[in-house]
Amino acid sequence: MTGPWAEALPWAIVLPLVGAALTPAVAVRHPRVSGFWAWGVLLVTAVLTAGLVSELVARGPFSYGLGGWAASYGIELRFDHFSAWVLPLVVLFVVIVPFSWRYLDHVMPDERRPPFYALLLLNAGGMIGFCVTGDLFNLFVFTEVVSLSSYALVAVGGRGLAAFAALKYLFIGAVSSLLMLFATAQLFVLSGSLNMADVSLRLGEIGGGTAVMVAFAAYAVSFMVKAAMFPVHVWLPDAHAIAPSPVSAVLSGMVVKVGIVGMLRIYQIYFGAEVLELGAFNLALVWLGAISIVMGAFFAIFQDDIKLMLAYSTISNIGYIVLGLGLASPYAVIGAAVHVFNHALIKATLFLAAGSIIHQTGFRTLSDLRGVARTMPQTSAAMAIGAVSIVGLPPTAGFVCKWYIALGAFEANQAPFGFALVFGALFIFIYYIRMLNAFYFQPPVHASVAQASETPWSMRGPVVLLASLCLILGVLGGIPLTFVEPAVLDLLPFWGQ
Amino acid sequence: MEVVDVRPILAPFVSFLCAGLVFGFGRSIFWRRFFTFLAAFIKMALVLSMLPGTLQGVVYVYQFVEFTPGIGIGFRADAYGMFFSLVSSTLWVFTTIYAIGYMQGDRDRVRFFGFFALCVSTTVGVAFAENLLTFFLFYETLTICTYPLVVHAETPEALRAGRIYLTYTLIGGGFALVGAVMTLNAAGTLTFAAPGILGMESGVATLAVIFLCLIIGFGVKAAIMPLHGWLPIAMVAPTPVSALLHAVAVVKVGAFGVTRVIYNVFGVELLRELGFATPLALLAGFTIVAASTIALTQDHLKRRLAYSTISQLSYIVLGAALLTPLAATAAVLHIANQAFAKITMFFVVGAITRTTGKKYVSEIDGIGARLPWSMAAFSIAALSFVGVPLTAGFITKWYLALGALEADAWWYVLVLITSSLLNAGYFFPILHRAYFRQAKEPWPPLEPGRRFETPKTLLFPIVICAAYVLLLGVTAEVPGMPFSVAQVAVDGFFAPVGGGP
Amino acid sequence: MQPFGLDLDYVAVVALFCVGLYMLVAKSNLLKKLLGLNVMETSVFAFIVTAGMVEGGDPPIMVAGTSAPYASPIPHAMVLTGIVVAVSVTAVALALIVQIHAHFGTIEIDELKELP
Repeated sequence: MTGPWAEALPWAIVLPLVGAALTPAVAVRHPRVSGFWAWGVLLVTAVLTAGLVSELVARGPFSYGLGGWAASYGIELRFDHFSAWVLPLVVLFVVIVPFSWRYLDHVMPDERRPPFYALLLLNAGGMIGFCVTGDLFNLFVFTEVVSLSSYALVAVGGRGLAAFAALKYLFIGAVSSLLMLFATAQLFVLSGSLNMADVSLRLGEIGGGTAVMVAFAAYAVSFMVKAAMFPVHVWLPDAHAIAPSPVSAVLSGMVVKVGIVGMLRIYQIYFGAEVLELGAFNLALVWLGAISIVMGAFFAIFQDDIKLMLAYSTISNIGYIVLGLGLASPYAVIGAAVHVFNHALIKATLFLAAGSIIHQTGFRTLSDLRGVARTMPQTSAAMAIGAVSIVGLPPTAGFVCKWYIALGAFEANQAPFGFALVFGALFIFIYYIRMLNAFYFQPPVHASVAQASETPWSMRGPVVLLASLCLILGVLGGIPLTFVEPAVLDLLPFWGQ
Repeated sequence: MEVVDVRPILAPFVSFLCAGLVFGFGRSIFWRRFFTFLAAFIKMALVLSMLPGTLQGVVYVYQFVEFTPGIGIGFRADAYGMFFSLVSSTLWVFTTIYAIGYMQGDRDRVRFFGFFALCVSTTVGVAFAENLLTFFLFYETLTICTYPLVVHAETPEALRAGRIYLTYTLIGGGFALVGAVMTLNAAGTLTFAAPGILGMESGVATLAVIFLCLIIGFGVKAAIMPLHGWLPIAMVAPTPVSALLHAVAVVKVGAFGVTRVIYNVFGVELLRELGFATPLALLAGFTIVAASTIALTQDHLKRRLAYSTISQLSYIVLGAALLTPLAATAAVLHIANQAFAKITMFFVVGAITRTTGKKYVSEIDGIGARLPWSMAAFSIAALSFVGVPLTAGFITKWYLALGALEADAWWYVLVLITSSLLNAGYFFPILHRAYFRQAKEPWPPLEPGRRFETPKTLLFPIVICAAYVLLLGVTAEVPGMPFSVAQVAVDGFFAPVGGGP
Repeated sequence: MQPFGLDLDYVAVVALFCVGLYMLVAKSNLLKKLLGLNVMETSVFAFIVTAGMVEGGDPPIMVAGTSAPYASPIPHAMVLTGIVVAVSVTAVALALIVQIHAHFGTIEIDELKELP
């Protein structure tokens, strides 16, 4: 039983990829057209994914065999509850792209726009593919599409430091991708298949063993690097801080989530097979998550550059998600999965608002930006909402995840981690309160800050929209649950105790 | 009887909307005042319109949205919530009038009035919260919304005060969150209920942690003694903020939270069995005396009032922790009694500062001649705190003493008497200086063309609030007055248990 | 051959991987780092290809004269795709190194760190 939308599944991947390929051609005469073109492509993709999600809600998960081959022989695309993540993802892209139209004026000459938007579309297409593929090797390929376009996007601002940050990102990212390829090959050798469901089934027949563990470990390390967890986070701060703000929003909000979604996919395979005892692994995740939260906050406190501190807060927030995953109780995992989306939203708000402020004033450190709220009230308000939200204070989107994960921690009888989570978040607020004080309650020190004007509407609109979403989702926290809950509950019977 | 009605959510929403309008169109003085007043009156009308129903035992409920499965953001106007929202919405009207006069010509008034409205919105939200989650949402929002008001002056001193305020309240909020989460785990629900929602089966250790977390969480705002540090420092805020928020809204939200925890989360029966309330009562008794003693030493007028507030708040906590109906009546009543008396005092202090520039007790010799009406109002409020009959404060003390005897804890009566003496000790010198000492230098004369001692926007709320203190004192048994609402509320708390211990 | 209970190709692959990793981590020159990455990539490809080997199997190409058993064709497809990816990564990295060189005048990490 599939509805009409099921047939459209491959188009959700193909559209942005083809759109990316066509971008330079479309914009050959007028480079600025590329921005509108990318937006148009993403809009259509958004409609498509909305259709896919509606199909999911109406009839449950569905598959599509590429090239007419049945699953397990051909490449299967599978749209399940975790795949529903593509809808908010594309919607965020749709919001971010208009912001970039005017923002890029200061970042790059017009003729470099078409490649920029092509890369952005590639990135989007890669992530959609990553979320909907049912094939392990395909998972690797889409990871690489996302990663490669991300490396390039970091450097797109065009100065030497950007290239250096991008190269650092590339080296670490490439190693993690290699680990992933190795793990994929290992699973193929063991099971003779690349289809996720099939692999899971056959692993169950084979049972455990060192080789199975090795593959799992390789996947885990690979995805931890992609998600920038604490000991392997070194690539993130520079890359995210130096990229143009719309790119930072994409990278920090969504690309790091590739690691998390990937981890969930691997969980699906291994839990389905019931071949792994994950107690120790979960314990490690919990500790790493808790350390990530604290260390991310700790580093952020010493930053004066607003984008750098936002980058560090990504590490903290990934810590929440990982902590939630490691706690392995229903509420905690639900909280983690919800935060995958909420954090993307909040981080996009913060990065775009920070970008607006940097764009209008030319400064990027707190001490220079004092008093900016007087001249840019709306953008600053968005920044304030984002800050309150990322700390997890109600009534904002950030609170929802804190609530669930804390609930999960007590549910799993891990009360110390519950306390760590709640009070670790307050620790982060030390930094943000400094930021808000500087923006709102201190007099300007620079004339360009005192005379800055609000951003044009194409930039302000997205920022205001995202900030209001942060508030709305804080109150209507139940919405993302519709998708997350069934998926998580599916997983949990096999979850390591 | 429960009735689904939209008014419990409309009441906080009105001031929320007002805040939005003030932020949007507040640059025009006219529209700012127009929206603020309109919202204040609409809100008061909304709350008053529910009053007759409440007196007959009707509870208005409204489920807003499901936040998580089974736990929604819900509103429920029971008698206790009604009582609290009546107090805060009435006082909002007066404080608005006062603030308009007081803040004339001050900076950033859009921000001030916007956040002011938000604070009132969240206060009523707290009053009508149906469950602990909703309560917590509004409780934390209140913290955030008051911060811009505390640091309004933007001086380094104000920023420091703001930082301390946030540190205290946010850490408290963290404890409250942990408490709420653990409650949900232990009880499976968060909806406030009359006999409480927790039970012995959760284990004494868990219950102790929950009680500790929730009491620390809400006790921070209620300024129970080791947690009171923020309150005197936050007095750096403009006087209307100190008046409404640090005498009424914020601290009362804390005290309200403590009572909710005692009566609607744990329940009288369970707490009697566990005996957790006794240390809390002892702490409250200590706070009453200690804070009053510190108040004696304060020369700064607002700081003296702040310590008086700390002492008075613990009356509420004590009343709640005694777990008897009469003491509970005193606790509920004191929310109104203390609010009206303390806000009068803050208004007067603000008027003194605005008219003469004086901020210290030692500077106000002979001010009674310059500001006769204001000082008369101050005297009434002071008498109320001392507990002179025919003032509101007497009613509280009377019931609290009866409640203490009912609980076989006569030593609290001694605490009350000591506190009364101490209250007299720190308020009467002010009156003495104001009336019986010669001014050191002539007071600045009335500006030409003014008929009153101080701008009438300042004087008017002062007089009304002082009159109300008297009214509360003499009309305790008149139906429709706060006392009757308080009794309905207390009946609700004790309905499942029955009377004395 | 299985010395120490391990497949020889497995050992070789891991050794190669470690050589590449060492180059990537220890070398100061960005180009040499990139070469190290390439060595690592090669090691993984070698692993995949050897995994597809079937004892005595023919290449999986349908021409006259071949017969079962065939070597598994999927690893070859995987490696081909992997090589494409690896080449792209190398290309992007080279472009970045060129940019760094143009901007800073050096591609030695040690010297880059001393720059302000």
